[in-house]
Amino acid sequence: MTFKKSPWVFVFHGAGCNGCNLEVLAVATPRYDVERLGIVIKHSPRNADILVVEGMVNKKNADRIRTVYDQMASPKVVVAVGACAVSGGPFAESYNHAGPLDRIIPVDVYVPGCPPRPEAVIDGILKGVEVLERASKG
Amino acid sequence: MRVHDFVMPVGPQSPAIKEPILLKVCLEGEEVQKVRMVTGYTHRGIEYLLEGKNPDQALYVASRVCGICSITHERAYVRTVENILGYDAPERVKAIRTVLFELERMQSHLLWAGFMMHEIGLETLFNYFWREREKVLDCFEKITGGRVHHNINKIRTLRYDMEEEDPEFILQQVRSVARKTRDYYNDCMKEEVVVSRLKNVGTIPKSMALEWGLTGPIARASGVRIDTRKIDPYDWYSRIDFEMAAGKRGDALERLKVRLTEVMESARIVERVLSGLPDEKIPPHSLSRVEGEGHARVEAPRGELFYYLRFKNNRVERAKIRTPSFSYMKILEELLPGMVVGDVPVIVASLDPCFSCLERVLVEKNGRVEELREKEFRRKYSCPG
Ligand code: SF4
Repeated sequence: MTFKKSPWVFVFHGAGCNGCNLEVLAVATPRYDVERLGIVIKHSPRNADILVVEGMVNKKNADRIRTVYDQMASPKVVVAVGACAVSGGPFAESYNHAGPLDRIIPVDVYVPGCPPRPEAVIDGILKGVEVLERASKG
Repeated sequence: MRVHDFVMPVGPQSPAIKEPILLKVCLEGEEVQKVRMVTGYTHRGIEYLLEGKNPDQALYVASRVCGICSITHERAYVRTVENILGYDAPERVKAIRTVLFELERMQSHLLWAGFMMHEIGLETLFNYFWREREKVLDCFEKITGGRVHHNINKIRTLRYDMEEEDPEFILQQVRSVARKTRDYYNDCMKEEVVVSRLKNVGTIPKSMALEWGLTGPIARASGVRIDTRKIDPYDWYSRIDFEMAAGKRGDALERLKVRLTEVMESARIVERVLSGLPDEKIPPHSLSRVEGEGHARVEAPRGELFYYLRFKNNRVERAKIRTPSFSYMKILEELLPGMVVGDVPVIVASLDPCFSCLERVLVEKNGRVEELREKEFRRKYSCPG
């Protein structure tokens, strides 16, 4: 598969346990190395194409997620990584749960797991790239 | 605050700090004048979630407190319950738990060392450290099947036993990690960039470490000799002999030294335990009935982790978790003033606070959130600890 452009990824750390955070960061390290696919992890949402959200949405960060999403330019794709972002996972019954993520922003790709393996995260991002290319075609 | 003061928010989603926390840094020129910390971005209500679960269910929630030290939380939970039951596990179970515990410390310190290098702009070393960390994760996968969450500790026993060929593989990996870590350690100490960015940055003198009740590698880097594995030994820590890493100056460089030394020491502990691994069957798992209250502590990679649990009708009635990061939460506000703004991420990273772990205390009263030092908190809410 060839990409039209190099997708840039912004990672939003929600209220997770850090597990998904580590697995998302691990994709940028030597064993998994997503840069070989042209995917770059960026630190600003304004020039990112793909938003990866891991961790639960709580009452305090729900607004932040919305802000980050609004700052991104269209076309944009959201990938929810981990049980926490997909459904609330182990924390779904908590008083501080304000999600799941798709109640806050539209989600295109769901990657289940607690935590998903780095391979699964890469696969999720690549699915996101497909959505992105379809969106930019019209 | 004076008019020309400039308040710079660092976080909650900042490239400089890996976890969500908001530091409001007041600057005058380059110099930090005052810091205000805003937490709550990772508060999940773990203690509430533990309540009402039976002892076997609650174990899974406890491991989800933190993904970096999942085994540690499991172990602390299991130790608490076993204390209540007055149960002493068979030697093989203890030995395997020790191995897992030290592997966890290795991966946590390597991960931290990677972040530290990333903060001072050495991306290559970041990648090197994380490459070593993958080797430790391979060992975990071999024993438990998981890379981050393992769910291997059970009350009284383990979920799986080690296979016959596992010790060989683990030894090989662990030796290779220790060798590489020694190389990187020597490189770091010789490297001008590392030394000049970390030396005399974020210094915590011994008296301050004692006053704030710091534990773990930070306290050891400041010259406080404290280690739960020594003062309250569990598993095989009383049987095997190991060195406690120690520093003196208490700055970020010393913390790097202490942590990397601990990685090498943990590798030695793993080797020693595996060479004397008893050959016996581990007990099968069965559901437990627990009544009453108890507490326990273990040495997490970041310091002392304390659990208090009270059971009623075989359900958790009250849980209290005190993580090591809790004591560094407020120390940041004292350490940062007077430093240049470029050092803020370095100091935060050098403490290695785990915000997922610590965000548990939020006292709200009449709509006003109170932040309390540990001593005041204990006095006011009479919580054991
Ligand atoms: S899905 Fe699991 S591993 Fe990921 S942040 Fe949530 S609890 Fe942690």
